[in-house]
Amino acid sequence: MKLRTFRYFFREAWRGLVRNRLMSLTAMGTITIALMLFGVFCLFTTNLQYFSNLALGRIEIRAFLSESARNYELLKAEIQAIPGVQRVKFISKEEGARWLEKALGNKGLFLGGENPLPNSINVYPARGANVENIARQVQRVAGVDEVVYGREFVRLLHIIVRLIWVIGFGLLFLVMLAVLYIVVNTIQMTIYARRKEIEIMKLVGATDWFIRWPFMLEGIMLGLGGALIAVIIVLEAYAFLNNRLGQVSTVLSLLTRAEITPYVIGGFFGIGIFFGALGSLLSVKRYLSI
Amino acid sequence: MIQARRLTKKYGNGVLALENLSLHIEKGEFVFLVGPSGAGKSTFLNLVIRREIPTDGFLSVAGRNVTLIKKQEIPLFRRRIGYIFQDYKLFPNKTVGENVSFALEVIEVDPMEIRDRVNFVLDLVGLIHKTEVFPSELSGGEQQRVSLARAIVNRPLLLLADEPTGNLDPDTSWEIMELLREINRRGTTIVMATHNREIVDRMQKRVIALEKGRLVRDERKGGYAVEA
Ligand SMILES: Nc1ncnc2c1ncn2[C@@H]1O[C@H](COP(=O)(O)OP(=O)(O)O)[C@@H](O)[C@H]1O
Ligand SMILES: [Mg+2]
Repeated sequence: MKLRTFRYFFREAWRGLVRNRLMSLTAMGTITIALMLFGVFCLFTTNLQYFSNLALGRIEIRAFLSESARNYELLKAEIQAIPGVQRVKFISKEEGARWLEKALGNKGLFLGGENPLPNSINVYPARGANVENIARQVQRVAGVDEVVYGREFVRLLHIIVRLIWVIGFGLLFLVMLAVLYIVVNTIQMTIYARRKEIEIMKLVGATDWFIRWPFMLEGIMLGLGGALIAVIIVLEAYAFLNNRLGQVSTVLSLLTRAEITPYVIGGFFGIGIFFGALGSLLSVKRYLSI
Repeated sequence: MIQARRLTKKYGNGVLALENLSLHIEKGEFVFLVGPSGAGKSTFLNLVIRREIPTDGFLSVAGRNVTLIKKQEIPLFRRRIGYIFQDYKLFPNKTVGENVSFALEVIEVDPMEIRDRVNFVLDLVGLIHKTEVFPSELSGGEQQRVSLARAIVNRPLLLLADEPTGNLDPDTSWEIMELLREINRRGTTIVMATHNREIVDRMQKRVIALEKGRLVRDERKGGYAVEA
């Protein structure tokens, strides 16, 4: 295809957009909103996933030792040998007390009285290891009194992440259908305005692709326009929220804007172009059958 | 150029528009297709240009069996056929020159050649001085001449005209007929569907008469109706 022909395609596509200004803006706005919904959902779930991975990675199993247990090195070695255990660390009762004081912000908690804490060993599972399984085996080691870890927390996190993906994808599907519907309607306005032109083009022997291209480009431009606005809004809003969240809580650590930018841009533009092109192909189909 | 054997067209709504039509049109002929409204004239032309597909029978155009033309071959097939209509079908927002060059642009002819060919046909139909004018500023006859120029700018082997004088007064109609006669003299086969008794009678060309989708008369140098 010749360059000159492509210029013609672009001119026609642009004319279509300008002719149906209002409808084009509506379509772009719809694409923007849909992409924003999509973006919020994706960012929410990936951050949740990210956060839960972080949290799971930090989970530790605390094995409190019985008073009688004395050979700490042997105990450490025994626990270290359990599959899935990455690292173990002995925490003396004094260290435990200091840690507790710091966590509670109450200096001198145990100053007067006896330190009631037992000695303990912190067990750090390897990434992705089965925490429950390890905990059970640690419990069986002779000299271990009690094992404590965030069992409920781990389970809940898994369930929430899975639930959100399922709900999100259902919603996403509906949103995408809506986008397609709006794009098809917009392009159809242009096509309707030019149906006589299409008829003549067909009669003088223009190929179907020659006729389709301007409409495809029009759809793609709608998609790109909608995506551009969505990218800007989502990235700015994300940076703003991330910043605010950072001020409020140090525990919640999110992906940075720089980390998500390539995915947001790639995803939004990709989806925008895809639905723009698909919508226009669907709407031009009917008019080509003469 | 056109060969039809027991050609039948039944539309989806059950209307039998053509029934067992057999005819043969030679290269270079000028043929009138006459008959009352609804006789099937437009249907026949639409079959020839492959806008419709025959329900039954055989139709070949320029050596090609129309029924067997594949979808992707239709554009190339149509580039050898010109078509004009009663209502001209010009683009109101394009100038006369653009209306004509459009037919060449969509088949990606070189710009230099487009200019030459457009000038040539506009000169032929006597409208070279109106190249920059919009259709709304032209008379009906002039508009039909523009549409004629667009139909022949691609140098078709065959020109189909569906009641081209239907909206024109007698004098203007004759201008168009003179042009068609000239185009035919240069070698283009012409099939013209018409109601216009006076034109058919005076041109003394071949007449094919249809009635309710059937061929009722095929005369070498005929008039619109058989003399009683
Ligand atoms: N696209 C169509 N769908 C259904 N019926 C049609 C269609 N085109 C024409 N007809 C019918 O076929 C018959 C022949 O029509 P047409 O070929 O247009 O006749 P003419 O051009 O001689 O007036 C008419 O009864 C008309 O209503
Ligand atoms: Mg007709």
